[in-house]
Parts: sequence; C-alpha cells; structure tokens
Amino acid sequence: MGIIGEFSELYLFPNGLFITIQLAITSLLGSLVLGTVIALFRIAPLVPLRWLGGGYVEFFRNTPLLVQLFFLYFATPYIGIYLGEPDTFGFRAAALGLTLYHAAYVAEIVRGGLLAVDKGQIEAARSLGLTYLGMLREVQLPQTFRAVIPPLGNIGIALVKNTSLAATIGVADLLFAGDIVESRTFRAEEAYAAVAILYLSLTIPLGILVNYLEKRMLVAR
Amino acid sequence: MRPDTWRMFVDPTILRFFGSGLMETISLSLAAIVLSFVIALVFAFGRLSKRPWIRWPSIAYIEGIRALPVLLLIVYFGIKGSALFRPVFGPEFELSRYWAGVLGLSLYTSAVLAEIIRAGIVSLPRGQTEASRALGLSHAQSMRHIILPQALRLMVPAMMAQLTTIIKDTSLVGTIGVFELVRQGRVVYTQFFNPIEVFLFVAAIYFVICFALSQASRRLEVGYTPKAARAKIREVQLRDQAA
Repeated sequence: MGIIGEFSELYLFPNGLFITIQLAITSLLGSLVLGTVIALFRIAPLVPLRWLGGGYVEFFRNTPLLVQLFFLYFATPYIGIYLGEPDTFGFRAAALGLTLYHAAYVAEIVRGGLLAVDKGQIEAARSLGLTYLGMLREVQLPQTFRAVIPPLGNIGIALVKNTSLAATIGVADLLFAGDIVESRTFRAEEAYAAVAILYLSLTIPLGILVNYLEKRMLVAR
Repeated sequence: MRPDTWRMFVDPTILRFFGSGLMETISLSLAAIVLSFVIALVFAFGRLSKRPWIRWPSIAYIEGIRALPVLLLIVYFGIKGSALFRPVFGPEFELSRYWAGVLGLSLYTSAVLAEIIRAGIVSLPRGQTEASRALGLSHAQSMRHIILPQALRLMVPAMMAQLTTIIKDTSLVGTIGVFELVRQGRVVYTQFFNPIEVFLFVAAIYFVICFALSQASRRLEVGYTPKAARAKIREVQLRDQAA
C-alpha cells in the first residue's frame, strides 16, 4: 500500500472524534439529570426512596462498565427492549450505559453538595411555609450546583475516557477508528499515537479547566 | 428470559468454567496492583524531586497517562507489546496477552497511585521532615524511615479503593483475548443463548467482590486517615475511580 493509500484512511479520525464528542456530551447531560434525581432520592425523607437511591449507586459503582454495556448491547434484544435500528443501536446502547454508570458517581457528588447546605436554612425555609419540593428548588439545589461544578468536571474527564469502551460494542468512535486504521495499514504506532493525541486534546484542556474552577471556588469561599 | 436457562448455574462444569475466569481476573488485578505500586513509587518521588530534569518528565508521565483511556493502553500493548520488548529480550520474544493486559492496567494505575502517594506525603506535617533532617538524617534516610512509613499507612484505604477500580478494569483485558470473567461469560452465552442470565451472574460476582472491598476501605478510612489527607486523596480518586 502506497503512501496515498495510507493517507486515505485519515478521514476516519475526525469522524471518530466527532462520535466520541457526541457520545460524551449526550451521556454527560443524561448522567447530570439522572444523577441529580438519584441524589435527591438518597436524601429524601422517605426511607424506601433512600434505599432505592443507595442501591442504584452501589450497584452501578461496583460492577464494570463493560459488563453494563454488554448487557445493554447483547441482552436487551432478548428482553424485547427496543433501542433502535441496527445502525443506531450501538450508539444508543453506549450512551445509555455511560449515562447509567456515571449517574451513580454524579449522584454521590451531588449528594455531598446537598448535605453541605446549612441545615438552618432548610429549617428556616420549611418554617416559612415552603413545601419540601419548593425548598429543594429555591434553597437547597441552587447552592449545591455552584459547589459541585469542579468535582463534576472530574467526572466529565472520566466520562470522555470511558467513551472508548463503546468501541467494544461496535460504535465507530475514536478508538475504533484507530483499530481500523491499524488493521488496514499495520502501523500500530502511528494509528494509536494519533488516537492518544486526540484523546489528550480533549482531556487535558478539560483538566486545566477543572483546576482553574477549583482555584476560583477556593477564592470565592 | 426462559426459565430453563438458570439451571446451568448449578452445573459444576459451568461453575468451574466461571471459576477459572474469576481466578484469571483476581490474578490480573493482583499482578497489576503490585507492579503499578512499584512504578508509582518511582514517579511519586520523581514528581516531588527538586531537580527539574527529574520532576518535569515525572509530571508529564503522570498527567499524560492519567488523561488516556485504559482501554487504549491495553489494546496497544495487546498488539505491539511483543515488538516493544524485542530489542531487550531478543528477536523471538513474545509478550503473552496476559502480561500485555497487566502492563496496560499497571501503567494507568501507576499514574493514579503516584498521585495518591504524593498526596499522602504532602499532607504529612512539615515538622516531620524538618525534625528528621535536624536530627541529622539525610533526605533519603528521612524519606525511608520517617515519611514513607507514615504516608503509606495513610494510603491503605485509598489503595484498597483503587483495587476495586482495577478489578473492574480487568474486564477490559478480555477484549485482547485473555479469558477472564467477562470473556468466559461471552463464551458461555454464545453457547447457550442466554446473555441476560450470564451478564447478571457475572455482574453479581463483580458486585460482591467490589462492594466488600469498597465497604472495607470506607470503614478503614474513617478511623485511619486525617481529614486533610482524605480530602486530597478523594480529589485524585474522583477522576480515576470512574474509569
């Protein structure tokens, strides 16, 4: 294969990068919403809700993401859960799996933030006649979100790295692009170095951003 | 879900098959944590060194490796591991897939552990170093006899937590053809067409091990680690425990 042949594979990298970013953003948004709901479950005044939230967090944190993805990809058709046509199925299974997994970590962080809110404020809001949900919305949640942004950024970095597992269920993400280029050109060094640099170009700026936010939060406090 | 597909999990042959996968998983994780601890010690001290030509490469290693997906490292060593070591061990050398997996896991974990070790060392009061230096110990001696023993004790819970992450990550080594728990599960379900039962069973095994370990680590942490060190180690782990 000539040099032109090798260059013709290069389009795979931007395509893979795009899929990786798409997957990361979709699952990050999903896990923020789901994680916040589960965190609210975990501090809910009803005991069964707390158990439910705790069970969710412990289950998803203590089993490998790969097993969860394989379950969604290989087992859901047997239960009759329809996730999409063959061309979108892998992506949706991966996005769902990443969302469920990282929601458990988001829930732990948001719960920590919720518990850090001064108890007197909660009691004051309740005694002023706000309902529990009204108090959550007006008092407890707004204060939580500010404090948890830097740790959530860390989860975002982990999520970007974990999107690489989607390649194992056939999603054409960045790592998958590297695998294809390697198998077509037998140039593992170049292929995986390109993949590594592209992953670093996502995670290192995110890391710098998180550090900056952490420092700013320290000053603000 | 068919009712007859659960009966296979009491069949001793099937159980032995899963058992051999579990053994592989455990042996992979233990090999990886031992190897990564050794590498981590080197880079933790490298990063704390006063000499810039040692410090900067260590920082680059730690931050670079931590920012990469583990799966990428494992896949890379799975394909190129043998060629990588041929200059050292001769042209016939073949890196087994098992050791390629261990290497990929350890490289990643070493960067994380190096940060945890560094957090443990930094969070010790400065007076400890100053006092030992004032008593006439050299820098190396004070590290070896005063600082490191204390820092390592602080880190036992964090290392246990990291072990749960490694155990979960060994599932990725199955993708390069090591027959650990998940890979064995895939073999079973392609024979019996019961992915639901198999993956639930596999998930349950992982859950029991990892839950017990993380619970134990949390118990230890409460009585063990001072608050300042805990916060620092937490911060490091946050980014990596999800991996």
